[in-house]
Amino acid sequence: MHDEAEGPPSFLGPGISIQGVLEITGELVISGHVRGHVAAIKLVIAAGGHVEGDVIAREVVIAGRLDGRAFAPNVTVEASAVVEGRIFHTNITVARGARMSGRMPWRPVSYFETLDKLPEVRL
Amino acid sequence: MSLFNRGDKSGSGPQQPERPQNQTRPAPPPPQAKAEAVILKTAEPPRPTQAEPPRPAPIVQPPTPTTARTGAHMPSVISKTLKIKGQLESSEDIQIDGDIEGDVRGINVKIGQNAKVKGTVYGDEVELAGTIEGKIESKKVTLTGTARMTGDILHQDIKIDSGAFISGSLKPEYGKSDSKPTLKPVAGGASANVSPLSAAARE
Repeated sequence: MHDEAEGPPSFLGPGISIQGVLEITGELVISGHVRGHVAAIKLVIAAGGHVEGDVIAREVVIAGRLDGRAFAPNVTVEASAVVEGRIFHTNITVARGARMSGRMPWRPVSYFETLDKLPEVRL
Repeated sequence: MSLFNRGDKSGSGPQQPERPQNQTRPAPPPPQAKAEAVILKTAEPPRPTQAEPPRPAPIVQPPTPTTARTGAHMPSVISKTLKIKGQLESSEDIQIDGDIEGDVRGINVKIGQNAKVKGTVYGDEVELAGTIEGKIESKKVTLTGTARMTGDILHQDIKIDSGAFISGSLKPEYGKSDSKPTLKPVAGGASANVSPLSAAARE
């Protein structure tokens, strides 16, 4: 699917707030506030983290708050999560206790493969 | 799932007492330091040899920094594969190794050797080993031998290692303009000046 040009994961601490477009060919952990688009291979919205906007990744773990859409074949929503928006997925796990508002449309893996190539067009 | 754990760690990290281990001792020392200070005060007379008054003082200072540090226990890292287009603001330390197009505002900003920033970097302390195209506004600026700086540097205190490339001017004016807050008023003043002038011209 992807060439994995993995580096060390990026970590955005609780004191950080970013407005704009984030692209990473690796893992990104967000504990702060991001407003905009995020494209990653693996994205973790940690507890206390807040993302407003669309995110695309191969794997998304949400333990914080997401206002917007998520596009990922593998999605994990943890108990502490608050999600407002849509989660496009192939495989999803939602923990008991998570606050989910919105739809969770299923898509085949191939759908995300095309997205991978043109995340910005789609977002 | 390992994912799950990963998320847990990073998520609960900020609130959990595990963190102090990460940053080693900054948090624990203050109480001890205070205790020591107290003990020293009482114990000082019997042991003049151990009386190193300077010690208690520096150690007692940390409490304020540590509170600031607690927020920065895990410094934010923007790794080399991360590209950001937009504004970045931080109330904690940042290590930048990736690409940023836009302004960066932080306290202690370290820009790594392979990092590139196009825009203004504001901070109390900026350490540059990579490339900036834009501007630095910081109280303390350090340019290492691998630094490439294209643009002006507003500083109060600067250190430049041999090998650093600078194209731009250095202005020791950081404190004077007090960075952004007063810059805006200046701009406002300028526009305010313009309008009276134009008004006068009309008259």
